[in-house]
Amino acid sequence: MIVATEHLSKWYGEVSGLNDVTVTVPEGVTGLLGPNGAGKSTFMKLVTGQLRPSTGSVRIFGEPIWGNPAQYRRLGFCPEQDAFYTNMTGREWIEALAGLHGMDGDSSRAAATRALDAVDLLDAADRKIGGYSKGMRQRIKLAQAIAHDPALLILDEPLSGMDPLMRRRTIRLIKEWARAGKTVVVSSHILHEIEAMTSNILLMHNGRIVAEGNVHQIRALIDEHPHRVWIRAEDPQAVARLLLSGDEVSSVKFDEGAVIVETARPDAFYTRLTSLAASGEAGAIEEVTSPDDNLQAVFSYLVKE
Amino acid sequence: MPIHDQSYRHYTGERALHRRGWWVIARNGMLARLRERRFLGLLLFAWSPFALHAVQLYIGATIVRAAFFGASEETFHTFLAQQRLFVFFITIYVGAGLIASDRQSNALQLYLSKPITRNAYIVGKLLTLAVFLAAVTWVPAMLLLVLQILFSGSLDFVLDHPRLVPAITLAAALQVTLAAVTMVALSSLSSSRRFAAMLYAGVVIFAGLLATVLEAVTHNGAWVLISPQNTLLFINTAIFNGPPDNLALLGSAGAALILLLVASAVILERRVRAVDVVA
Amino acid sequence: MFELALGEMLWGRRAVFMAVAAAVPVLLALGLRLAFASGSATIVVNGQHLSPETMFGTAISLLYLRFIVPALGVYYGTSMIADEIEDKTITYLFVRPMRRGAIVLGKYLAYLVCVLAAVLPSAALVFVVMVPLASMGPLVETFVRHLEQIAVGIAAYGAVFVLAGVTFKRPLVGGLIFVFGWEPIAAALPGYVARLTVAHYLQGGIADGIGLVLASIGAVLLAMRTIEQREYVLEQ
Repeated sequence: MIVATEHLSKWYGEVSGLNDVTVTVPEGVTGLLGPNGAGKSTFMKLVTGQLRPSTGSVRIFGEPIWGNPAQYRRLGFCPEQDAFYTNMTGREWIEALAGLHGMDGDSSRAAATRALDAVDLLDAADRKIGGYSKGMRQRIKLAQAIAHDPALLILDEPLSGMDPLMRRRTIRLIKEWARAGKTVVVSSHILHEIEAMTSNILLMHNGRIVAEGNVHQIRALIDEHPHRVWIRAEDPQAVARLLLSGDEVSSVKFDEGAVIVETARPDAFYTRLTSLAASGEAGAIEEVTSPDDNLQAVFSYLVKE
Repeated sequence: MPIHDQSYRHYTGERALHRRGWWVIARNGMLARLRERRFLGLLLFAWSPFALHAVQLYIGATIVRAAFFGASEETFHTFLAQQRLFVFFITIYVGAGLIASDRQSNALQLYLSKPITRNAYIVGKLLTLAVFLAAVTWVPAMLLLVLQILFSGSLDFVLDHPRLVPAITLAAALQVTLAAVTMVALSSLSSSRRFAAMLYAGVVIFAGLLATVLEAVTHNGAWVLISPQNTLLFINTAIFNGPPDNLALLGSAGAALILLLVASAVILERRVRAVDVVA
Repeated sequence: MFELALGEMLWGRRAVFMAVAAAVPVLLALGLRLAFASGSATIVVNGQHLSPETMFGTAISLLYLRFIVPALGVYYGTSMIADEIEDKTITYLFVRPMRRGAIVLGKYLAYLVCVLAAVLPSAALVFVVMVPLASMGPLVETFVRHLEQIAVGIAAYGAVFVLAGVTFKRPLVGGLIFVFGWEPIAAALPGYVARLTVAHYLQGGIADGIGLVLASIGAVLLAMRTIEQREYVLEQ
């Protein structure tokens, strides 16, 4: 196992950041998923040796990380915070950080060029970081994490602030790195982003790991838990009548000008709803909402278990 | 798939400038500082000269042989001059990060996207610092006057020195205004409060040192004008002791302070913007 | 780390203070020398006219040792690590394969090199400008002694405040209070109180100077150890 924690806890005064976490992270891409405040960043800071465990242990490649700087040769970290030496150009910054890995001038220049090329920032490499857009700053952070070709990458919310095209490219990049033999731990609070990268995830909530494993298993949990959909329609009764004729719907309630449907098979239900909307059989369907609190619903479900 | 309403939704609430935005900014700034024990300690320490002077006034009022400890206009002049050190440290502690921290955290954009004007924002920041500075200059000075009245048991002292209250108020106001406006202007120059603090320290201490040396060497009192602090001391002396022989220098000192305040206002006008253009 | 820190010291906005600290005394000295030459400037103490040579000594002790050296030490010393923490860029340094103490050492050495390179030539220029050529010979020893004092002061104040920077959350204000509040007050108090300042040992003899150098080394080593032991929780 690349990363292994055993009864890992971290508290800040009286506030618990991480609570008795015992996990192992295998090779490949692992998604660290959880809502804001779940402890993902605390976990990553412990794994990258920026924080000392209050109790328990954390090891990477079998050795502890706190107070063990040699480990950083094999580790690349992309932090969440938007912090840079804004007076330096992107290239200068990457070269300087590569130099801190012991690379000489030529090697650090070559490494910087490779890293900047990988994140599509070569054109802007000689501009000051202070003039970069949010997406460019996110990419330069990724570049500094990969410049020294580490075996383990810890990426804290790497897609934050990126436009959709760049998100797709970055997701592709992460999968390429995994195929090249690197181990990547990526954190996010958005399920479908993680889904696009990997099927192996760790779910966190309130400083604890609530589930780990294959994402399809987690999705199945979502499917088993009743899924609510609010549909505003021209003729809610007609919509309800037509939807009830199928077996995807568990229950139906009416709201003002809308119908609230519960379904245990959301994929099949949405397929049916889409064809209904397209055919116009039940009149106009004006609005369909399903808030993301279903992720919260899964967490609540898992925490209650 | 869930389809959300993508159309524009009109705001239906009230649209009016918040007339007391400056007070909201000032109040929150002051409360944030008052939560810090270190700062409360500094404020408490800044009142120690008041305690010493209070004891002095008590002795002067109650012990006949120690009447030379009694109050005079010079007592209050000296007190305000002594408070300069605390004014300096409080200005740096509170003032250095007033705008610099907002610039660093991109909060300036947030502030200026609310229905308050830039002037309200600046006034709020100035007030945050000015209140604390007044609390260690004007307030203790006036309290000393009250103590003098209480210890002596009569209003004779105040009646015999009718210009004392306006003198204290004017001198303290000048001290507070100069420190607050200068510091807030310097704070707007950078996103590092440390840098702003050192700029202020340089302006105050270094300029003061230079002015003192040049004045000693050239025997020309006009060098006082290069140091805001020395200029202020000169004006405060004139406030308490009456106009000096060199009225032209007094006029120049006043003009120098006005120039400094205008320069600070120009800096604030140029630097307090929601957007910074990065070349 | 030294190279990176050197670049930050020289090309960042922080270089402003060094430049001003180096340039202003020289300009002042030039102005005074012209004034002395034209006869429009004199200093009289106890009825005696002060010579430019004496003025130089006063400039060193008042301007350099009492203001420039401590101010630069406070600013650069406290900001070495505190700036990185405040800007949250310290993360990038902590996740490199080097001991955390190397960050402190590299930055301190860069501070030492840059500030010595700015201030010592400045003091030398002031000497050359203030002291007539004919009087320079006998004063060389005193001049060298002053340069040593300035160098030791730069090292000592930097070391003390780099330790303050890694230990305390808001070291700059405390540093300014120490240098411009405590040190002048302590110097005026009787007994051993003055020994609780750096300035006291700067004005002392060779033994005091050596002690100060050793204490500086100790302070830097302690700062290196502190940064390796402490964890820095960056504000979100």
